[in-house]
Amino acid sequence: MIWVTWRQHRAQLLTTAGFLVLLGLLLLGSATEARSYVSGYFPDGCPAGFAHCGSVEVAVGLGERYDAVYTLFGWMPLVLPALIGAFWGAPLLGREYERGTHRLAWTQSVPVRRWLAVKLGVLGGAVVAGGLLLSLMVSLWRPVFREGIDSGFGNIGVFNMTGVAPAAWWLYAFAAGGFAGTLFRRTLPAMALVVAGVAATMFTLFALSDHYAPPDRAVLSGTVVLDDPDARLVGATWVDPSGRAVDDPAACERGLDTGRSSAKAEAWQDCLFAEGYAYAVTYHPPERFWRFQWTEAGILVAASALLCALTARRVLRRRG
Amino acid sequence: MSAPILEVPVLETTGLGVRRRRAWALRDCSLSVPAGRVAALVGPNGAGKTTLMLAAVGLLAPDRGHVSVRGTAAFVAQDKPLYESFTVGELLEFGRRTNTRWDGEGARARLDVLGVPLGRRAGRLSGGQQAQVAITLALARTPDLLVLDEPLANLDPLARHDVMRTLMGEVAGRGLTVLLSSHVIADLEDTCDWLVVLNGGRLQVSGDIDDLLAGHLLLSGPAEAAEGLEAVSATGTGRHATLLVRGDRALGPRWSTRRPNLDELVMGYLRSPQAAALPGPAGVAR
Repeated sequence: MIWVTWRQHRAQLLTTAGFLVLLGLLLLGSATEARSYVSGYFPDGCPAGFAHCGSVEVAVGLGERYDAVYTLFGWMPLVLPALIGAFWGAPLLGREYERGTHRLAWTQSVPVRRWLAVKLGVLGGAVVAGGLLLSLMVSLWRPVFREGIDSGFGNIGVFNMTGVAPAAWWLYAFAAGGFAGTLFRRTLPAMALVVAGVAATMFTLFALSDHYAPPDRAVLSGTVVLDDPDARLVGATWVDPSGRAVDDPAACERGLDTGRSSAKAEAWQDCLFAEGYAYAVTYHPPERFWRFQWTEAGILVAASALLCALTARRVLRRRG
Repeated sequence: MSAPILEVPVLETTGLGVRRRRAWALRDCSLSVPAGRVAALVGPNGAGKTTLMLAAVGLLAPDRGHVSVRGTAAFVAQDKPLYESFTVGELLEFGRRTNTRWDGEGARARLDVLGVPLGRRAGRLSGGQQAQVAITLALARTPDLLVLDEPLANLDPLARHDVMRTLMGEVAGRGLTVLLSSHVIADLEDTCDWLVVLNGGRLQVSGDIDDLLAGHLLLSGPAEAAEGLEAVSATGTGRHATLLVRGDRALGPRWSTRRPNLDELVMGYLRSPQAAALPGPAGVAR
């Protein structure tokens, strides 16, 4: 059965592996180039802590290099799971039903239960391995540019490309695609459904992730910017001198800024701070990276298990 | 009617009922096909032929009744599904790896005789070759029962002949039992020795073809004399009538009688869906 699985799905397996190899080469090249760029400025090595070694010029250069690659894969957290769902998950059963080949596959002596278990197991395992490999590559590449600046917790896009998130998302998309195939018994509508489903799940979890833990609260005075750029902001509000939260403080007159200037907004903030107001921020500190990773992965793995169970139920119901 | 069945049934259904989209695709179907028989399953489109076959090979769970197969059943579905991107050789490998019993050498030898290249992708084979590969895959499992859904559909006359010859070779060679469906009765006349007629989801006829033919008469005569005669069905235009009747009976000189052929027998039953010719206690005409 493993040979059968490999033979039937080798196109997806090889394409995905090829993509990961290309991406790996790109990241490797980019990181090597960035390293030599930094060592051009600091031939004796740089003081530990920051990727840019404290030089503004190097920071700008690294930023440009980082952004050039990041624009390439900024869409990966959403698009890759959607592709996995569409090309790994949806055809798994949709294509068998569509071509009638399920009647060939399920009338051999291998029981249907085992056929499905091997397919879901082998392909699900390959998908998880692929997701972990992606995460590993991104996690090795990013610190070259961002070490000491952020850990990838505050940016939800980066967060979903590191840790166990890609593996969990890929697995979920694969399981959803498999289930969609049993619903429509055709590949194309199953692909459409799984792409829509993955996108909907992603935006739901983005919204839900603020509640993975009770947020911390910081009351700021004199500034409205949290000193940790890696924190994930949940909400913010003004607090009047008596300690009550106010959405729209009336103590100061707020002028409208024109263009890119924020001078009037800053003047308004300074006025409020002078009046005794404070700015309360709720946020998740970056130490929660793994807690959030495992929470999200747990939700997705549980959903994957449920989808696989539903798939098995529909397949084993024997409806011809 | 036919003699009681002494042969061991390979396929047996009792009170089989399958519901599809609220309506019964098959109901109250009790039949058995004895070992070594080549059974023709005939009936109009939508009669439940495919449903019966899917239930027989375990792809469809019955809503009522039971279906049992003594030994292993191999199935060739309608349109002979194959993995089109697999080469013929890879399809044989697929069969070897998904079966406990597998006669790979026999399969290779058969395909060699038929001139089907092992290196060609299944999607690039002709319709006749695809049918041969699908049947070869099924036969390589050395099944006790081979179920074929419309094996001759979409084949040219030469390919139909080749496919039937392949099948008959196997049946003669090792007592394989075959259930095959078709709506072209002419394809079946020379090769089948058991008949199953389904109509509107109900079983109408199940029995040995020779016994069935010997047990029926085709009468032609004046239409007014047909009144009161118990017939399976009657056709005719104006004053002349043709009747299919059960059993032997002597009628007056106004009637000409002869044995029906398979086509006339089947058509006679399909014309009157209430009539039935079934063995055992169920054999009472309804």
